[in-house]
Amino acid sequence: MQGYVLITGATGGLGRAFAIECASRGWNLFLTDLSEQALLALSTGIQRMYGVTTRYCPCDLTDAEARKSLWQRITQLGLSFHGLINVAGLDHEGRFFERRIDDLQTILRVNIEATVEMTWRALQFREPGETFRIITVSSLAAFYPMPVKAVYAASKRFLLDWSLALRHELRDSDASVTVLCPAGMRTNKACIQAIAAQGFMGQITTLDVGVIAARTLDSALAGRAVYIPGIVNQIMRVLSSFFPTALVTEVIGNRWDKNTPYHGHTGGVRWTAAKS
Amino acid sequence: MDCSKELTGMTVVVTGATSGMGRAMAMNMAQRGAHVIGVGRSQSRCAELKRDVLKADPAARITVLVADLASQSQVLLLAEDIRGAALRPSGLVGWVGDGRIDALVNNAASVYNWYATTEDGYEAQFAVNHLAPFVLTHELLPLLELSPTGRVISISSASHFGATMHWPDVMYRKHYSCLMAYKQSKLANVLFVMELNRRLAQHSHVRAYAVDPGLVNTEIGQKGTSGIENWVWRKRRTTGVSPEQGAATALFLATTPALAQADAAYWKDSHPAQPSKAAQDSVEAARLWAYSERLCGMTWGAGSACCQQGDPMGSPLRGG
Ligand SMILES: NC(=O)c1ccc[n+]([C@@H]2O[C@H](COP(=O)([O-])OP(=O)(O)OC[C@H]3O[C@@H](n4cnc5c(N)ncnc54)[C@H](OP(=O)(O)O)[C@@H]3O)[C@@H](O)[C@H]2O)c1
Repeated sequence: MQGYVLITGATGGLGRAFAIECASRGWNLFLTDLSEQALLALSTGIQRMYGVTTRYCPCDLTDAEARKSLWQRITQLGLSFHGLINVAGLDHEGRFFERRIDDLQTILRVNIEATVEMTWRALQFREPGETFRIITVSSLAAFYPMPVKAVYAASKRFLLDWSLALRHELRDSDASVTVLCPAGMRTNKACIQAIAAQGFMGQITTLDVGVIAARTLDSALAGRAVYIPGIVNQIMRVLSSFFPTALVTEVIGNRWDKNTPYHGHTGGVRWTAAKS
Repeated sequence: MDCSKELTGMTVVVTGATSGMGRAMAMNMAQRGAHVIGVGRSQSRCAELKRDVLKADPAARITVLVADLASQSQVLLLAEDIRGAALRPSGLVGWVGDGRIDALVNNAASVYNWYATTEDGYEAQFAVNHLAPFVLTHELLPLLELSPTGRVISISSASHFGATMHWPDVMYRKHYSCLMAYKQSKLANVLFVMELNRRLAQHSHVRAYAVDPGLVNTEIGQKGTSGIENWVWRKRRTTGVSPEQGAATALFLATTPALAQADAAYWKDSHPAQPSKAAQDSVEAARLWAYSERLCGMTWGAGSACCQQGDPMGSPLRGG
């Protein structure tokens, strides 16, 4: 395989784990994320560990113009891909009506708009004669409506449904789509604290990112549609499907309510409640 | 300036000087008159260290530098800052350093109970506990050579007993174990010291020492762990000695003018001791050395590593 695997959100905790796992399998990498300095560090480290070719180009995926220049760069370099891993995605904590509208739009732009475009374009740059593997990082949140993470969870639901449909469409063209739906992962300080705060439940529902990356790639190579890391998470997912969506939403909402203080908002209704 | 103190004129570097044993060492040597260059990862804890040193003795010579040792690029920048501080100790009026460093204490270390990678893609314990001192020592060696008694002191641990290098997966990516990754990193500390001495013996008077401080009551096992591991480390530490006591052997090695057994590489309770068999395996030490050189992109004896960063669009390096 002369071609590359394209990884978005490559310098985050999960992105790094994917990059390392791909390199350990001898695949060349094309990495993108926001910071050039972070891309340089990762790309250098991976070359030193595995001796594969790594290239990178920084890109703000929320910016359509920046995406355009990214693909111009890829065209210039004459690259072709046998894999795409859509890791880039984000969330801003807080209740819908307490958030800035710009932040909500950014979630949609990165999680949905950029992922769809990157996938569409990457498919134009397929390495001839190779199976093309698409991995899209969704979330366990994709399976439930999630109060307090409403826009985020729904965007992940979009990725799940879209991927499964795309998978069907690509069936006969030697390409596969696999969706990763993880629960919490210890990829940054906030996540680590959130997992620690869940105590025992956090411990048993959390897998190391290195393991998640490896098993996701195994799932993709085996052509599996969805991979949920962790047996406890898999069981919860199955159990929850026996209950009506409204009830699941209620349970999740109550759990978040306990952990999420109100911060005030433009409407002024709950704000007073939070102050008392 | 009070020139009468026993360590006046000495410059020492202590990494991880913001808590535990490193902090005890920095406080101790600053009060005895040495110019202490203390390294920490947190701006506020560094400021706190400086404040406390100066509170104990307003004439103390302390420089604090902030760097995340998990990052290879930050270690290189840190080395640059240390070179500057050794020449021109900031704010220390009426005193100019000669650029030399008498002792480098590689003390900083961390413990994580999950697989975490650094920005360079390396497992965090291996990067902080082993690769960072590997690079820093390389970068500071020329300054240590300037001292008649230049010493590199690496804080290892009795946890290195029972460990071997996990070559099939050094980063423990596939089956991460907090304890095994920690033990391996502490074994790497001893192997590093052994190989460094072998290399230095040919042309340099600088010597390297690995220290087993014993079980010490610090927060090291609490910072990057949760659940059962956190509980175990918490229980364990209560039986340990104070950071001041834990620091004693390293302080002895850093500040004793003429060491009686200067060629002994592994020390405990201020006396030479025996490291594990695995730690004395020179083939393993050479292999770790070569691997570390590759991961840090440098060759010892070929000048500063800063000139050998990867190029922007990432041309392939040899590997294997
Ligand atoms: N405690 C023991 O029982 C024991 C036994 C044997 C050996 N040792 C060894 O003794 C040494 C000192 O440990 P300790 O017990 O004194 O631990 P500690 O209190 O946790 O001190 C470790 C120091 O390293 C710093 N540090 C950690 N990660 C860093 C990073 N990425 N960049 C920069 N600085 C970083 C810490 O900064 P912060 O202040 O910001 O956390 C702290 O100053 C370690 O090498 C350890 O392996 C300890």
